[in-house]
Amino acid sequence: MSEPKSGAAKGVIGQRLPLVDARKKTTGEAVYTDDIRLPNTLVGKILRSPHAHARIKGIDTSRALALPGVAAVVTGAENRANFGVLPISKDETALAVDKVIFVGDQVAAVAAEDEEIALEALGLIQVDYEVYPAFLQPEDSLKDVADPAHKIHARTVGETNVHKQVDQHFGDVDAALKDARIVRRGHFEFGSVTHAFTEPHCVIARYDTDGKLTLWSATQVPHYVHRALVEVTGLPMHAIRVIKPMVGGAFGGKSDPFPHEMAAALLSMKSGRPVKILFDREEVFLSHHGRHPTKTDIAVALDRDGKISGLDLKVLIDGGAWGSFGVVTTYYNGVLSAGPYDVSNFRYSGKRVYTNKPPCGAMRGHGAVNSRFAFEVLLDEIAEELGEDPCELRLKNFLPEYTTTINEFRITSNGIAEGMLRAMERSGWKEKYRQLPPGRGIGAACGFYISGSALPIHWSKLPQSTVHLKIDMDGGVTVHAGTADIGQGSDTMLAQCVAQVLGLPMSRLRVYTADSDMDPVDLGSYSSRVTFMAGNAARRAAEQIRTELIEAASRLTGYPAEGFVLEDELVVYTPLPRIRMSYMEALTEALADRGALIARGSYQSPPMGGKFKGAAAGLSPTYSFQSYISEVTVDEETGFVKVEKVWAAHDCGRALNPIAVEGQVEGSIHMGLGQLLSEQFRYHDGNVLNPNLLDYKTLSAKEMPEVECILIESGDPEGPFGAKECGEGPLLPILPSVANAIHDAVGVRIRRLPVTPEDILQGIQKNRMERSDVAAKIRVA
Amino acid sequence: MLLPRFELHRPSSVDEALTIAARHAGDCDFIAGGTDLLQNYKNRLNPRGHVVSLLGIDALQELSPTRIGALTTLARIEESETMRRELPILVEAASKVASPLVRQTATLGGNLLVETRCYYFNQSEFWRRSKGYCLKAEGDVCLVVPQKETCYAAFSGDMAPALMALGASARLKSLDGERIVKLTEFYEGDGIKRYVLRPGELVQGVELPPSATSLRGAYRKLRLRDTFDYPELGLAVTLGMEGEKIRELHVCAAAMETVPLCFDDLTGSLHGQPLSDSLIQLLGERIVKRVKPVKNTALSPNYRRKMVMVYLRRMLEQLATAGN
Amino acid sequence: MKNREILELEVNGHRRQTAARPYDVLLDVLRDGLDLTGTKRGCDMGTCGCCTVLMDGKPVLSCLTLAGQCEGKAITTIEGLKDGAHLHPLQKCFADAGGSQCGFCTPGFLMTCTALLEKNQEPSDGEIREAISGNMCRCTGYVKIIEAIQQSAEVLRARKAGNEGQADV
Repeated sequence: MSEPKSGAAKGVIGQRLPLVDARKKTTGEAVYTDDIRLPNTLVGKILRSPHAHARIKGIDTSRALALPGVAAVVTGAENRANFGVLPISKDETALAVDKVIFVGDQVAAVAAEDEEIALEALGLIQVDYEVYPAFLQPEDSLKDVADPAHKIHARTVGETNVHKQVDQHFGDVDAALKDARIVRRGHFEFGSVTHAFTEPHCVIARYDTDGKLTLWSATQVPHYVHRALVEVTGLPMHAIRVIKPMVGGAFGGKSDPFPHEMAAALLSMKSGRPVKILFDREEVFLSHHGRHPTKTDIAVALDRDGKISGLDLKVLIDGGAWGSFGVVTTYYNGVLSAGPYDVSNFRYSGKRVYTNKPPCGAMRGHGAVNSRFAFEVLLDEIAEELGEDPCELRLKNFLPEYTTTINEFRITSNGIAEGMLRAMERSGWKEKYRQLPPGRGIGAACGFYISGSALPIHWSKLPQSTVHLKIDMDGGVTVHAGTADIGQGSDTMLAQCVAQVLGLPMSRLRVYTADSDMDPVDLGSYSSRVTFMAGNAARRAAEQIRTELIEAASRLTGYPAEGFVLEDELVVYTPLPRIRMSYMEALTEALADRGALIARGSYQSPPMGGKFKGAAAGLSPTYSFQSYISEVTVDEETGFVKVEKVWAAHDCGRALNPIAVEGQVEGSIHMGLGQLLSEQFRYHDGNVLNPNLLDYKTLSAKEMPEVECILIESGDPEGPFGAKECGEGPLLPILPSVANAIHDAVGVRIRRLPVTPEDILQGIQKNRMERSDVAAKIRVA
Repeated sequence: MLLPRFELHRPSSVDEALTIAARHAGDCDFIAGGTDLLQNYKNRLNPRGHVVSLLGIDALQELSPTRIGALTTLARIEESETMRRELPILVEAASKVASPLVRQTATLGGNLLVETRCYYFNQSEFWRRSKGYCLKAEGDVCLVVPQKETCYAAFSGDMAPALMALGASARLKSLDGERIVKLTEFYEGDGIKRYVLRPGELVQGVELPPSATSLRGAYRKLRLRDTFDYPELGLAVTLGMEGEKIRELHVCAAAMETVPLCFDDLTGSLHGQPLSDSLIQLLGERIVKRVKPVKNTALSPNYRRKMVMVYLRRMLEQLATAGN
Repeated sequence: MKNREILELEVNGHRRQTAARPYDVLLDVLRDGLDLTGTKRGCDMGTCGCCTVLMDGKPVLSCLTLAGQCEGKAITTIEGLKDGAHLHPLQKCFADAGGSQCGFCTPGFLMTCTALLEKNQEPSDGEIREAISGNMCRCTGYVKIIEAIQQSAEVLRARKAGNEGQADV
């Protein structure tokens, strides 16, 4: 039998594999929360606030309760327990207590025999409000309130509605600005965008006769829901089980524990029956937790050596009604902006305010997108002013690999320069930049992103990820983890990591995740942590099983364990390859007298980072890097932008499954283009004007450009098989690369997102007028 | 999302449908494809207690260059080779309505009568209640133009301007009999009462003059996405040339106001003149001056008006060369 | 409720009876009455296309279709797309090419694409984009969906050529 040449790729890592659950998703077999039917289930519905800010003077639920078919009604008066995703800002309750703080705030919840009765019951609840002035503009929330009752939350900075303030300064930015060869400044404004996943939120709570609460929910982080349920229900943690069924997209929008999840639990505990709450699309919009709108003032300095010597950032962040992840957001708007460049002086001042609008939270590229845009656009302007190539300017300023940034991030693998060079080559950058015909343009931008947060939000010595494996005499491997597959393919990733170590085909793997009774705790699917952290945990668990199988083979053959490898369902002694046995033979021996093989692997980030206040924010065991080039056509008479093609270089360390990595890049491009060109929450006072998928405009298949993914495999030394994140970083550079391409096409700079065709047209017309002014002056001269 | 309660009637003839409608006059809607009506019902926008399905009626399905039944789906118009050859403007307009899935069931009749659009009207009951309701549904103040007592919701059908520009008429029928109304006279009023249809009267379809096929026509639609969206401007232009001179020219627009607009009073005087750049410019300026969109859709009124000029010029240039 | 009546529908080749209200849409009857939960509720307003089913071979939005208007029509849902245990080429290609990530929009896309490929087995890129422009996907950016459709068309063409070849023999 011939042996593979040494170094040839074996196994499932790096293969273009379908997701383990992909086929079930194509047949209707995949079960999402709303597809679950439990016997005797009640329909839960939520009464929401019609006011942006008001005191609840009284709620009368008696008429609703008297309606035949109504099983339970709950209000905030019955449960005042606070919860929230971050331990430092637990400012949410299951239902509004004493006051409502945005249009859509949950006021009461009803469980009834069917939807019609539940809706009728909502109409019978009488709420008496005293309307308060609403804080709708972030600037208004900076001021001291006239009446302390008008503070949106009790815990703020002084008598203002400022939720969090961050000030950081590294080096001497003022000196850098003063000594610079060139300084560019800009004021940028970013609209409010949301995840717009296709599956609306849905939850089922079942409080059973044994006093055990089970909650099925479309969530990214079952563990945080679990923790919040403890606080709200008062039940011990072990009496609560949280299960995440299939989730129809999340993108950060299902990463908070939500009040409707709490309300479902309370309704079930009150009625003693299962309760399902399914949101309609408007409710999804009102609960959105999407990207924070920001107003960003930025200055970038370049010194005489062409190095970025200063970055000065000031950001006002509109948080909406709750804290959510907002403290993290406030840091991320600053700390994730300087990299991927070696910036020698950096200052950041960020303020996040509460306003009486639907809450903002984490969304793909959390906290990094808007500042990244501003920085990348200014870099383009600097290059233009100096007559330099913006890609060359970037190449001169990239962070090297294995270094430490000015704010003490530990940088390990870094393939950004390779990505930039390859994107330039593939796109024909040198032949196109500033040389395309009018109305056509090309632009570049870069980015970097965390691959999991090194410090968990709940301080604890527990690992950040743990994976359990079990192999019994059937030879199948079951993988158990608390990770949440939300469509990104984390179940597939876990199976691949285990299959690779054990030399098994994917068909032997069965993945059971996101069930708090069956699986070990994992901190969930956010901050792009799962591949790196849970992937490492899975690999480590599998390595233990591998050792046991090899020891069994060694026992059976009498050859030393050191020489055995597992591949292709065989255990082979490499010095004498004819000494081999099947995986099943080795397994049978390993199981003898003791039963199933079980193993546990875990991951905990190594210690890192500085000692200053806020040093932990943005720390990650590794970072992904992006270099994008985009080409556009702009209709100079209508201002419409068509993005023709994107060359997207992304350093993911190692593409464990290139199909999945490309899918993340392509999806990120779609989402980022929406924020740039068409998506935004529109408001009339505190009301969202477009809480539906028709008027909130995500781009269709017709607007989506061609995408060429250029996967850079820098091989991270600590990543599982060298891998790092690919779910969020790829969103960052698409917005500024297209904005820079628009400038190349028609000479218009973008300062406000989304940019409308009208904005671009106005820019074109302004340029024309300025040009004709210049021409007129020349003629006069 | 649950619909409000209603009784569903399924007549098999037009007369039966009209009889049911007359019996429940004032509390009755006709439904064909349902893509517009059911959205509005889900939002509790003026629902009725009785809904009469027209889908069991075999008539009203005709599709020819001179007659199109109200129940003809937009997809059928879009896919019809005859229509593509004879009246491509209608194929163009039909193919730009909403999305291909909507067009499978959406009908010509439905598009002619499509509910007007406004940010303050097309909302859930929860939303509207929280704003104290709008003039068009339950309220007594317009939230877009608060000092006025008329509704400014935009007419958002794509078929009407194209059909108007071809000189089409609506065929109406009630228990009182049939009547034929030019589409240019069919639409009138504000965003609430937007056409001359009487209670219990049914649009059976449209008829087109045989001469319509001699006109070159084009329909263009302004919207952020090339699918899903209602028009921010829907411009239909038909042109007949005699040598170098204009024999006939019609320009009609959707989404500028509460009803589709026809600018025959501006184009009529141009017949007999050569189609020049300056003529197009002048006509465009006059139309732009005339239209008065308000701020109740995604793109600004100013921009939408500006685009009238751009679209008009592009379309006329295209039509002028199309004949050569 | 008293106002429910027995509705008879032909779904996936079988005549099915269920109690429905006159104001129930097809989506609700499929999911709640017939337990066919593969058809998804995304926006419930006719925009997202997640609820697409075939009616007499045409893709329609089940959230905006009255169940009471469906009698006598042949309805196919995602559960009816497989041929026994065999996946339809579209199903296989969507799974294998990465055309499905979270999977929530997938049933709707598959129904739309089934109708497309019935009509046109050589769709251009533009025709594919047009055909799926009533279905929203938030995960894939449509790139791999389009690839999957092209691959399926190829499979179907090859299959057809094979069948025709056999018929000749």
